[in-house]
Amino acid sequence: MALHRGKGLATIEYPTGMNQNGDPSQAWIKVKPDGRVDVFSGTSDIGNGSKTVQSQIVAETLGVPYDWITYDNSNTDSSPMCTGTFASRATFVAGNAVLKAARQVRERILAIASRELEIDPEDLEVADGTVSVKGTPAKSMGVDEVAGAATFVHGELLTGDGAHLNPGAAIVDPETGEVDKPPHAAISYAACAAEVEVDDETGDVRVLKLTQAYDIGRAMNPTLVEGQIEGGAVMGLGFGVLETCYPYYPSAEHRGDGMSTYHVPTMAELPEINNVLIENPSEGGPYGAKGIGEMANNAQPAAIANAIYDAVGVWVTEFPITPERVLAALDARSEPRREGRMVAFDEELSINSFSSTRTWGA
Amino acid sequence: MKVVGARLPRYDGVGHVTGRTTYVDDVRLPGMLHAAALRSPHHHARITHLDTSAAEAMAGVHAVITHADVPLLVYGHLSGGGIPGDEPLLAKDHARYRGQPIALVAADTVDIARAACAAIDVGYEELPALFDVRLAFDDDAPVVNDAFGNWYDQYEGNLDVRQIRKGDIEAAFDAADLIVSGVYRTQSQEQVPLETQVCVAVPEPDGRLTIHTCTQAMYFSLGVVCSHLQLPMSQVKMVGGTVGGGFGGKVDTASDTLTALAAQKTERPVKWRWTREEEMLASGNRGPWHMEIIDAVSRDGWILGRKMLTIHDAGAYGRFSVYGVTKHSFHHTGAYTIPNLHFDGYVVFTNRIPTTAMRGYGITGLSTAIEVHAERVARELGMDPYEFRLKNANRVNDTSPNRIPYEDPSTVEVLQSLASATGSELSDDLRAMTRDQRSADMLPDHLAAQIGSGGGH
Repeated sequence: MALHRGKGLATIEYPTGMNQNGDPSQAWIKVKPDGRVDVFSGTSDIGNGSKTVQSQIVAETLGVPYDWITYDNSNTDSSPMCTGTFASRATFVAGNAVLKAARQVRERILAIASRELEIDPEDLEVADGTVSVKGTPAKSMGVDEVAGAATFVHGELLTGDGAHLNPGAAIVDPETGEVDKPPHAAISYAACAAEVEVDDETGDVRVLKLTQAYDIGRAMNPTLVEGQIEGGAVMGLGFGVLETCYPYYPSAEHRGDGMSTYHVPTMAELPEINNVLIENPSEGGPYGAKGIGEMANNAQPAAIANAIYDAVGVWVTEFPITPERVLAALDARSEPRREGRMVAFDEELSINSFSSTRTWGA
Repeated sequence: MKVVGARLPRYDGVGHVTGRTTYVDDVRLPGMLHAAALRSPHHHARITHLDTSAAEAMAGVHAVITHADVPLLVYGHLSGGGIPGDEPLLAKDHARYRGQPIALVAADTVDIARAACAAIDVGYEELPALFDVRLAFDDDAPVVNDAFGNWYDQYEGNLDVRQIRKGDIEAAFDAADLIVSGVYRTQSQEQVPLETQVCVAVPEPDGRLTIHTCTQAMYFSLGVVCSHLQLPMSQVKMVGGTVGGGFGGKVDTASDTLTALAAQKTERPVKWRWTREEEMLASGNRGPWHMEIIDAVSRDGWILGRKMLTIHDAGAYGRFSVYGVTKHSFHHTGAYTIPNLHFDGYVVFTNRIPTTAMRGYGITGLSTAIEVHAERVARELGMDPYEFRLKNANRVNDTSPNRIPYEDPSTVEVLQSLASATGSELSDDLRAMTRDQRSADMLPDHLAAQIGSGGGH
């Protein structure tokens, strides 16, 4: 018995927004008489933190403190349409809707303040809940005072609405796959390096360390970004070496029916995780953001598989890479079929070895 | 900037960690009934008869819902995109996977509802089942899906395969110094949200329905419920927005419509909470993918062309699988630029639980396959894995498989950052590389034809 260490690498990309686009989000905002802000959005928060990020976008855009924001996504009567929280779209697509709504509210705030201060709106700015004259910060009024004036002096409601839709790339050439316009809102990139330890007697793979570099466009909230990519790393670890609904796939029998019979990663399997965040702002995202949620579990499985090869010199290409599969690969020590310039791996898994009607490949 | 970019605490985090957040299961209403489902015990069976009278006669049972109660039984999740529906809300003549719902009982307690499910008289005639996607195309394969057969056959109207064809694939393979093939199979993964599928539906005095939902997509689910129930959106109010974990599976709207039907029929609030076993055994999971890749490469490390076959094991019904395979096809070169492509992707149906969206949908298995294959090719060439990846990295105005120029690709930057973070050595040339449009030696003949001054084709 011996423990072998290895390192592996993977690089990935992932689209932001629904494939082929065409997924609208809408939002509206109203301001209470004391300047506090109510945001209505139809975006469900599935744990991704969209309530937080969308509230941050509104606070930043209006120039008011974050704790002035109340966020309501509780029902479809009061919140306008949002396609939903999937396809890494809640920050980019739905975030753009609240951004546009907040810009409208900001204009209304400046218009009222302009009348109160008798200064052109272009000469005003808002920060920290205060509207002030550019270059003459002493001349100012609070956004709370502006909202009060709007309500009780001018008889107006400070409100704004926003909608965002990346037009649908509806036309796909069925022969070539060519599309008529970009099928994504943005693309994010990441790379992951894994360090593993493989036990050549038991086949057990221990992932010791994952180092990840993510281009996230703009880290709207670095704590939440880290939550996404570390949570994603653990999900990728499960996909890579632990989890399967069908342990004897393609058989549909012997399914795990609970937490004790279906093994998701626990603290016991947790590797050291190190993150590098790269901010390469996107063209169209709010404050340069891109989607980050879904790509977060995609790079680890291959990085782990490549590290296992580095450690013990066998490829396992059926996932998850269970101890049984590692041991089987170590026993077989199979080499690819090499003929001339051809190098053919895994031929025993190919459809060519199973189907009586389909053949595929060179 | 002050607020954007700040490490602010999660908006609703305190409630989540102190147990004070109101999730759907925390909704308890006077007179609320509880629901349980009768599910198929067979992978594939004809339903020969269905008699609910004994269950309905049981004390404490208020309603039994079957296919006959659903105004529109079949509604496709992708109907808006022109993809026909294939999945009945409740099984009618066929059960096509173990766990498929056949009836829903609403009763005073969960125990009574479960006992009533057991009292429903169902006749089954078991049929041969298909599980191996590699056998789906064979003449003697059991037929799984009555709308499409064993694989989806209506891409852009009438094609049975999602195709990508780009460049001159034969020329790329003729020119190759090395042709490397591999097969990659990734597995089905459970969603495992802490909150299982759950719904509380409330009939309001004005005739509307309030639906407390765990959906990830309130308006999508509103559309699904209103379509099955044939109601205008004004008649249904979805209440939710705070989900106890969702990774794609809660887009499925798995419990809302049936619970709403039970509330309509009983005129009482109804709660349907799936058990952990049901969540594991009957909710939509990540689908398995079978991927075969053949890369044509040059001795100096360029990927000249790629042939790829993808078979997605969709389970018994389509749900979002056509979307998943199309997205997969659009990204099958990963973080690299490969000018000559021949891709065939199939959605294949098997007698397992319909698979659905899950974090990384269409791509997680793909990234896994591409990146192990890249490592194999690099090793066959005797090339450093960073160098191989950086050389083929997406660059500005390189084009995607569907011919969209990349505007701001970061393959180069993330690899350089990773190399620094892990102490991996890169040559000066690789350190100096940028995402900028290829030129000089970075614009070899095999790419020059597709990368012009304005990008595009």
